[in-house]
Parts: sequence; C-alpha cells; structure tokens
Amino acid sequence: MIKTIKLTVLFTVLIAFISCDDKIDVDVPEAAPRLVIEASLDWEKGTSGNNQTIKLSTSTPYFDTTLNTSVIGASVKVTNNNSNVEYNFIDQNDGNYTIDNFVPVINDSYTLEVIYNGETYTATERLMSVAPITNVQQSLEGGFDDEVLDVTIFFDDPAGEENFYMFRIKEEGDLFAELEAESDEFSDGNTQEEFFEKARDNDDETEEYNPGDIVNIKLYGISERYYNYITLLVEQYDTGGDPFSAIPAEIKGNCINVTNEANYAFGYFRVTEFNQVTYTFQ
Amino acid sequence: MKKSLVCLCLFMTSLLFAQEKYSVNGTLKDKKNGETLFGATVYLKGTTNGAVTNEYGFYSLTAEKGTYTLVISFLGYETITQEIVLDADQTINFEINEASTTLETVVLEAEESERLNIRKPQMSVSKLNAATIKQMPVVLGEVDVIKSIQLLPGVTSSGEGTAGFNVRGGAADQNLVLLDEAIIYNTSHFFGFFSVFNADAIKDIKLYKGDIPAKFGGRISSVLDVRQKDGNSKNLEINGGVGLISSRLAVEGPMFNKKGSFLVAGRTSYAHLFMPIIDELKDDKISFYDLNLKTNYEIDENNRIYLSGYFGRDIFDISKFVKNRYGNASANLRWNHVFNEKLFSNLSLIYSKYDYRIILDFIKLDWIADIKNFNLKYDLGYYASDNLKLDFGVSAITYDFNPGEVRPTDASSPINYRKLDQKRALEAAAYISAEHQLTDKLTAQYGLRLSTFSRLGGQTLSDYANDLPVVYNEDIGIYEEGEEIGTTAYKKSESIKTFTNVEPRLGLSYQLNDESSVKASYTRSVQYVHLLSNTVSVTPVDVWAPSGRYIQPQKSNQYAIGYYRNFNDKTYSLELETYYKNVDNRIDYIDGSNLIGTNNIETEILNGEARAYGLEVLLRKSKGKFQGWFSYTLSKSEQRALGGNAGGPGINKGNWYNTPYDRTHDFSITGSYDFNEKWKFSANFVYQTGRPVTYPNGQYEYEGLSIASFDQRNANRLPAYHRLDLSATLTPNKNKNRRWQSEWVFGLYNAYARRNAASIFFSQDFDTGVNEARRLSIFGSVIPSITYNFKF
Repeated sequence: MIKTIKLTVLFTVLIAFISCDDKIDVDVPEAAPRLVIEASLDWEKGTSGNNQTIKLSTSTPYFDTTLNTSVIGASVKVTNNNSNVEYNFIDQNDGNYTIDNFVPVINDSYTLEVIYNGETYTATERLMSVAPITNVQQSLEGGFDDEVLDVTIFFDDPAGEENFYMFRIKEEGDLFAELEAESDEFSDGNTQEEFFEKARDNDDETEEYNPGDIVNIKLYGISERYYNYITLLVEQYDTGGDPFSAIPAEIKGNCINVTNEANYAFGYFRVTEFNQVTYTFQ
Repeated sequence: MKKSLVCLCLFMTSLLFAQEKYSVNGTLKDKKNGETLFGATVYLKGTTNGAVTNEYGFYSLTAEKGTYTLVISFLGYETITQEIVLDADQTINFEINEASTTLETVVLEAEESERLNIRKPQMSVSKLNAATIKQMPVVLGEVDVIKSIQLLPGVTSSGEGTAGFNVRGGAADQNLVLLDEAIIYNTSHFFGFFSVFNADAIKDIKLYKGDIPAKFGGRISSVLDVRQKDGNSKNLEINGGVGLISSRLAVEGPMFNKKGSFLVAGRTSYAHLFMPIIDELKDDKISFYDLNLKTNYEIDENNRIYLSGYFGRDIFDISKFVKNRYGNASANLRWNHVFNEKLFSNLSLIYSKYDYRIILDFIKLDWIADIKNFNLKYDLGYYASDNLKLDFGVSAITYDFNPGEVRPTDASSPINYRKLDQKRALEAAAYISAEHQLTDKLTAQYGLRLSTFSRLGGQTLSDYANDLPVVYNEDIGIYEEGEEIGTTAYKKSESIKTFTNVEPRLGLSYQLNDESSVKASYTRSVQYVHLLSNTVSVTPVDVWAPSGRYIQPQKSNQYAIGYYRNFNDKTYSLELETYYKNVDNRIDYIDGSNLIGTNNIETEILNGEARAYGLEVLLRKSKGKFQGWFSYTLSKSEQRALGGNAGGPGINKGNWYNTPYDRTHDFSITGSYDFNEKWKFSANFVYQTGRPVTYPNGQYEYEGLSIASFDQRNANRLPAYHRLDLSATLTPNKNKNRRWQSEWVFGLYNAYARRNAASIFFSQDFDTGVNEARRLSIFGSVIPSITYNFKF
C-alpha cells in the first residue's frame, strides 16, 4: 500500500522545482528478442466470461518504433486444473489467440501452455475474485491538486484476508491507460477509496480532467504474485531511472520455458475477476 | 591476541629504558578569541621530540633533564619559541597570534606537510578548518562542509541534490559523521543541496578515509569528525551573513568572568517568506533552519566542562500533497580532566536523534519514524614517554530504532493505525592504541578495539521455514519472501543476538629523509547498524536497522600504503596513497524490494559483499598568494550478493557489479588567489566519470504500454560530470581600523552552464507512443550568488 505514497514521485516533484530536462540521444544495449505472453483472462462480474484473448509477440530494441512483432503459428492451451477441462485457443494470424467457450470459476487454478518455435512455456494461476465498486464520485478537493478535477471509486475490502487489487483507468481518446496496484496491508476491512487525477499542464488545459471527459475505470482482483509483478512493472514504467527509484531490474512474470529455462518469456498469465464503471465528468 | 602481546612488550620495553625525565604539558589557545587549537605542533628544537595538540588543545612532552627551546607552530599562526629548563614536571599554557588579521584568513591545514607529521603514522586523513571551507565557491553561496570534502581524493557524492557522501567506494551509511562527538544521521538540508553544518559554528573538520584510529568505531568507510567552536573567551563577537538562500548569525563571548565562553549560532532559509507572493507557490512552504550551541567553563586548571548542542529541521510542505519535517538533534556534555602532566581524560555523555514525519493528506496518512541514541564514553590519553603515547577508553551506545508508525489523519481515513516493530540495541567498545616511535626513522601506531553489539529483546520476530527469510523461486527465477512458520517473542531483559568483534588497527611510518616518508596501514572495522536504502540517492525517509538474527554486521579490512613528500621549503606537498578494501555482509536488495513500511526487512535482502581499490594523488600548495590543491583518484568499487542458503545464483545472477558510487576517474582542482588586500579569487574544477546506471536493453508491449527490459545492474554509465565554479571576495578598504568588518562574496556555480545529467529517464511519450531518453539536470545553467558577511 505504501507504494501509493509514491515517494519517488514526491522527490521528483521537489527536484522539478529547480531542475530542467531535455531529450537526448543515448546508446542502449540490445538484447536478443524474447517471446512476450500477454495472457490476461479477465472475467467481468455478471458476464459469462466465455470470450477470451491471449496475445503473443516478441520484444524489440528499446528505440524501435515498428512494433510489428506479432507471433503467428504458436499453440496456446489453457487447462482448468480443478475440472481438467482444456481450452484450445485459435490463432487469428495477427498475434491474437482467441476462444469463445471459456468457463471462469472463482478460486479455480488454471494452467497455460504455449508452444512456440519448438519450446514449451507454462504458467499456473488462480482466478481471484474482486469486491464490487460501490460508488463513484468526482471532486476538486480530493487528489493532489485542489484546482483539478479528480474521480474516486469506493469499494469494501473483505476483512481478515489479504487482498490485492489492480486499477486500470483510461480516458476516451487517450492512447494509453494508467495502471495502479494496491494491497490492503494498511487498510484491511475498510472501505477503500482510490482517486484518479491528471496533473495540470499550464500549456494545455485539455490535459487535466474537464467536464464532459469520459473515463473508464476497471478494478481487478489479483493474486499476490501478480501484485508483485505489476507493481514493479508500473514502478519501472513510471520512474524510468530517476535517482530516487531502485535500480531497475529484470521483471519476471510466471511464464516458464520448460524446454530452455534461460529463454523465459516476458509477460504474465493472469486470471482475474473485474468490474468496471464508465464515468462522465460533470 | 598475539598482536596485543606484541603491543604490551613494546610498551614495557619503552618503560624500562626510561631515565631521569620530566614532562611539560599545557593547553594551546588562540590569543584573540581563546579557542583551543587542535593539531598544532609543539616540539623541542634540535631534537625529534615533539607532540601535536589534541582536540582540546592539550599537549604533553617528555624529555631528559636539560635546557631546551620549545617551539610551537601552527599554520596560519605566528610561530613562538620559549626557553625552558626541564628540571621538574611543569605546566605551560600558550596563547598564539594569528599570522594575518583579515576577516577570512587563508589558512590551509596541510597536516602532512608539517615538520613532525611526516613521521606520524596516521595516514588517509584530511583536515580542513572553517576558513578554508568558507572560501571555496559553493552553490548559491551556501558554505558547505560536505561539498568541500568532496574535492579531496577518494571522496565523491551521488551528484547535486543528493544527501551524503561516499568515501573510497563506500556507501553513505558507512561514514561516521560526528558533530562534537554526537552521531549525525542525516547530513543534509533540503534533500542534499546544503549540509547541516553551519560554517560559523565550526572550528575544524577532520576526515579519516582509512587508517581509522582505534578510538573510533561503528562505521567502516570513514569518520568525519566535525568540531564546533568553543566560543570567544576574550571578547563578545558577532558573526553573520546574508545570502540568497539563508542568513546566519553567530554570537560568542566570554562567560563566568572569562572562566568560560559561549557560542550560539543560528541559520535559517527564508525563501518561504517570498513563496506566498508567487501564486503557484502560495500554499507551499520549503525551509530549513539550524541552531548550534556551545558553552564551556573552566573549573580550574585541570578541569573544564563543555556543553554543546545542535538542532536542525527541514520543512517541506507542498499544499495538499505532502507535509514533511525532518532533522537531527544532538547534545553533548563533556568533562575534560587533567590527572597530571602525562594523563589527560575526557568523559562525554552524548545524545543524538534523527526523526522524520510525513503527512500525506490525499490518502489521509501520517507517518513518523526516528532513531535515537545515548552514548557514554570515557577517553584517556597517556603521554608515557618521549616516544610513546597511549590512547585508551571505553564507550557504550544505546540505540532505539522506531522504523515507522502510521496513523490515520482523521476518522474518515481508510488507514488503520499501525506501528512497525521498535528495535533496541546496545553497542559497547573498549580500545587501546599506542603511537610509538620505534627508531629515529620508524614510528608505529598500533591499536586494538574490542566491540560488542547486542540486539535487545522486547519485540517479536518472525520465524521462517528452514530459517530462510528469502527464498529463490526456482521455477520463475526470482527471489521472494520465505514462508513464515511462526513467531518468537523476546523479553525486554533478554538479548536476541550478540556479536563480539576484535578490530586491530596498525599504522607504520618510515621517514626516508627530512622531506619524505612512506606509510602503511591496516584497519579492520565493524559496523552494526545499516541504513536501508535501495535507491541511488539517500533520502530522508530511509530507515536505519540494527544487526540481529537476520542481519549480520558489516566487516571491513582496509590496506593502504602511501608516499608523502614536501617540496620547496614545504610550499608544496605531495600525497600518494593506494588502498584495497573488502567488506563482508554488505546488505543487498533483491529485485523489486520494497523497504518503506516493511516490517520484516529480512525478506527483502541478501547478505552480499563489496570491494574497492584505488590510487589517490593529492598535490597541495599551502603557502603564498596562490594556494590550493589538485586531486586525482583512480578507483573501482563493486559489490555482489550470492544466493547462499536462499539458493539460486544471487542478485544480478551472482555477478560482481558496479556500486552506484563507482567513479573510475575523479579529478578536482581548487585554488584561491590573493590578488590584493581588497580582492581574492577562488575556483574549483571537478571532472568525474559518470555514475553507473542501468539502461534498458529492449522493450515489449504489455497492457498497451511499452515496457523496458533490463539485464545486468549498473552496467552502463551516465555521461561524465564536470563543472567549474568561481568566486570573488571583496573586502572593503574601510575595514581597517574599525570594529565592523565586512566582505562581499560573489559566486558563479557551474560557470560554463554544463547540463550534467543527474539521471537519464527512459519513458514513452504519451502523445506519440514513441520511447525517448530524457536527461534530468539539476542545474541547467549558471547559478550566480551573492553573500554579505560581517563580524564585529
């Protein structure tokens, strides 16, 4: 939870008072490409969850702008370890592998198997449930800046157990979503509030949230291992080398290459329940 | 054990050969203000018999019966000589005059260039006095002790705006920083831009980069010994200054019928006074202040007591975002007692504390943490004979660690009250060390420190399966928390774990001729407390942790050898030193470790090791209109952590990697030129290899974002860092013959406006989705400054 405090952000804000930054050219090392498995089986509350997609691609040099690295011709299969039901995903020849008869069961364990270039990758994960979003509110006072609109979602954390959450917020028209992860370590059993705000940009008033802006907020129930994974991923994505962050590390997901251990895959096999709200700022 | 026997034999031998000898002792003071003088040379002309005054200005000399000329010399002061007839033990106190009377005397304490010191075995030490530090060009005109020592060989920092300093490739927490003997846990104001030491209250500083005397212990890289002024015991004196960032005022004067004196110094920044004027900053407050206090009273010739204190705070409020307070507090009560002309003693009771508080309104959280310690120590100096001096003593430190307490700010807060485990410990030590002149040319300094550290009970610790707080997950290839299988509660009276270590120290000096010598030293030291920080820069919220069941004490061995030489009638001096050190049990942090708010810190770390080696060159000119030094360091500093019992290859695949303080080349020049009575000019130039960093080696798409991938830690480097600073001091002519003395200091920091990279950020442009590298420079342009100093 303390990650919410984002001390790195705090110190970076301080530094920003007097510092300046500019774009420069840097020579970076180039690693050989690795398989990337984005296997996110997310089940929205109140739906069947039958339609699922798994994306396969490969990594590229850091400054490459053509990300046309879809992986075609792999074999993708998910097994429910409790019922032994197998789900074979169909190659759409664009890097997506889809299925329309997946059956999600809370707390059941699932195993992913990907066979690509003669190497087999596996991962196992449990389907985590999530508490429903009970309320959405907008305000000026919440958040960091009292002059900028923010939106807060509320939900009730179940007491007496460890829970881990992921939030994904995206404004209509934005290229990218924002991710955040949270645990109930310091707030177990309480009503949780999570606010979202965009920093004011004095040159561009449309940057911050304005009346009429539409945002989509998703709340996921995630496993502790995925929480550790996504926290590190988000932290490294956000800080990208500032002096108050930890030394950036190799982020390892749960996809193991059983044929050649060293050639593990990037990405993660997650199985979650989620709920979402779409909110229009007043 | 063997070593101590040798010590004892040497000691006995020297006593046996003692003949009809007498001693002369006393205290050396500055005639103008009564400050005791540390490090002055007192010797008998025509003999090799001499001594150096100690921290309290005390000296003692022993020689055969006879008539001698006693010479007292101290750089920047007039040398005085006096005939003495040594036919009985006697006490002679001296007061000496400064050689020059301008406000800021150019006094450069080139300790090794002093006549007798070339034979003194102490090496790897640098001493600077306040006047030297004050005239170096500094950022925004703020005189800074920590920045000034970074111009010495072997001392670096992580860059502008970062706290602490690194000595010979060591971490910032491996420096023992003492202000009047009290431990200072955080040396910086304003997140590292300024140091906590107010130059108006400081008499001198001494930095031991190695060859640490046996009387110091508890840190393995260095000792920075900062001493406050005692206060003028002759006249009331007021010093002050007005700068862009802060203003200073120091008042000192005699007390108790000139039997004592006092010093009160304060410094405060005042940018926050102007912040409400600027609309964007009207809700913000950023400021710092500190207060120094010292007073002493001479009960009689043989007894003197001192009381000193320090209190400093940083205030950092960003409207609704965050409120942050942090700072050090310390106090020291000392009693100097001279038993007889050969035996000097000092008893100190010292308190120090560092604490911080952060209130985060937006998540309704209030967080406090602190570390406190009491230290009782008794140090004695025995001037046994003309060729043997002994230092010995004992000390005990009690520690109280409060790593964090979380409170909700109001009833609607989603935060639950929680307190991380409070930790307690006791560190005790006894030491003896001898400075022994073995032959005309060979002098040895040998000592032994026995230290023990007990982690005290009164808390509960987690137990882990197979006693492993961190385990290697073979499947995924990452380190993660071990399985907690229960807890053990320890009673307050019980000790959780006790460590005992013997720390030998040895130094040898061989004088080649009147102008040159070679020295060698070995230091073993042990550090029981650790600053937990997995970031490049030390931040105010980093917490200290004691050794115990899961954290081992850091142990270091340092070997050094050096060559010292004076040229041209001691106008120039050259110091060449090379060192190698290794550190066992250096804590390293597993990938993705989270330290803040973590109770069981043992689940985030592995025990690693570190090693560093280097060559240092220091060429000084310490006489004449132009004075200054040139320093160069070639060095390497690396660390690694193997998996050990936790399994797996270790952090960074078990490979050695550069520490963040590794700088291959570090070069600096600092100098000042006395143009005329009115103008004085100073300059610094610094060049160093860029800091080791980790650059991405690829990218991949996940959740629609471009995620960077990384491999080996710290395998890349930032661009080289270099900078030129200039300053000019104007002393108006009208200063002559009046009490009010003043001067103007004009400065240019980063004179050619280099954009040194404090860091390089790799990120995705939100509008285009393209990855880019951005350079963050703390100072992107020239930083001018102006300061007005006065004294009356």
